[in-house]
Amino acid sequence: MTRISSWVPAMLMSAVLPLTGCAVTIPVDPDGTLDRIRREQVVRAGASPRPGWVVVGSMTEDPTGREVDLVEGFASSLGAQVEWTVGGEEDLIGRLEDGSLDVVVGGLTDQNPFSADAAMTRPYLEEKVQGTVEAHVMFVPMGENALQSALERWLDEAVPR
Amino acid sequence: MRRAREPRFGYTDLPEPQRIALRKAIRLEVVTFVFMLTAVAAVFSVMGGSQAMKAAWIEDMLGLIPPVAFLLAISRARKEPTPDHPYGYHRTVATGHLTAAVALLVMGLFLIEDSAMGLLRQEHPQVGTMQLFGNTVWSGWLMIAVMVYTGVGPFILARLKLPLSEQLHDKVLYADADMQKADWMTAAGTIVGVLGIGVGLWWLDSVAALFIAGSILRDGWKNLRFASGSLNDQRARTFDDKSPHPLTYQVDDVLRDLPWISQSRSRVRDQGHVFHIEAFVRPTDEDVTLERIEEAVTALRNLDWKIHDVVVMPVRDLPEEIPDPGADQ
Repeated sequence: MTRISSWVPAMLMSAVLPLTGCAVTIPVDPDGTLDRIRREQVVRAGASPRPGWVVVGSMTEDPTGREVDLVEGFASSLGAQVEWTVGGEEDLIGRLEDGSLDVVVGGLTDQNPFSADAAMTRPYLEEKVQGTVEAHVMFVPMGENALQSALERWLDEAVPR
Repeated sequence: MRRAREPRFGYTDLPEPQRIALRKAIRLEVVTFVFMLTAVAAVFSVMGGSQAMKAAWIEDMLGLIPPVAFLLAISRARKEPTPDHPYGYHRTVATGHLTAAVALLVMGLFLIEDSAMGLLRQEHPQVGTMQLFGNTVWSGWLMIAVMVYTGVGPFILARLKLPLSEQLHDKVLYADADMQKADWMTAAGTIVGVLGIGVGLWWLDSVAALFIAGSILRDGWKNLRFASGSLNDQRARTFDDKSPHPLTYQVDDVLRDLPWISQSRSRVRDQGHVFHIEAFVRPTDEDVTLERIEEAVTALRNLDWKIHDVVVMPVRDLPEEIPDPGADQ
């Protein structure tokens, strides 16, 4: 490690520091999802049925259940309404990836197979089910860290442990 | 067995400064090992989705190898020669050196591929929050704090180990100190990557990871060259492998200065800590006595503590196939 490599971090540092100066909050979403939610006052949420957590009646009415209530609560904390999309887990995760959904719920736990495709929140609730502990999570688009942090922060306060 | 617990290299007795240096080096490498364990655990606990943090974590794990290689080599090298290992166990140093080099090289290549693919696939790193004493904190801040911790330790340890590696002529110790000397740059690079994620510049994370991977690869390549050189009986080089060791030139000078020797040609190789010397000397007359040969061996041994295994062979004519060590000076 000699001369050439020692200026690389210095250069990167000088590129980033001015940016941190003008950014209002850290982290920032690369694709600006949280800002868009605040601006358009809409959270586009995906719901996949699981008894108790997400209950889907008919296709015309909004889903109900514990996680549906949580997403509604999170949206209103941002001054936004929720636009629900009902579907299967894989389909909904795919929509998170292409940016057409902001959050997905479905009674999912941290043992789900989708964590490579979308960002899993920190478990917000642990429940004993048949001798095992289920740690419940929601999904947001990968790398939208401002949205993820806002959701995790809200869940920390809204869900009693 | 003579004083088995005394610090020593095989049957070579160490002078006092080297003995002190060796004790210090052993202590420092134990401290290094324990520190790197805490660093690996700390980085793992806050790693999240950052590629730069992953690279730093892997580098810290690789940092566990040199102290272990050093401590193993020291405990093996103190053993006296056996019928099965007539040269002793000094080569353990080079074996340890080579092992560390290959590990660095392979992980460097892996990390370059891993980070470059992340960049090409435009993967946005995920860094959410953590709960710390009842508060919700963005994990990036914790990552930066951990990187400051992992950057400061090696910075200090390296500066303490470098002079010892010269005193002991220990190349594993040198390689370790040399790599740790640059570790603060890894930490700084990782902090830049994490700050990049913080301000929404997702690619900066992978770029920082590539920079770290590049430094790991460089270290691996450099060490592989020197470790394999030494295993292939390259002439002895200085502790930092920068130039041929001055002793390789002095051997012939010392022998030629003896009144009964007219010409001398020698080979000096580094066995790890200590040197193995074969010297062919042309006497001025045919009167070669045991006393004269012993005098020559003693003259060489007095030159430096590293001169350990010495063979002096009187010959009628110098062997032409052995090149003059000073030919490329």
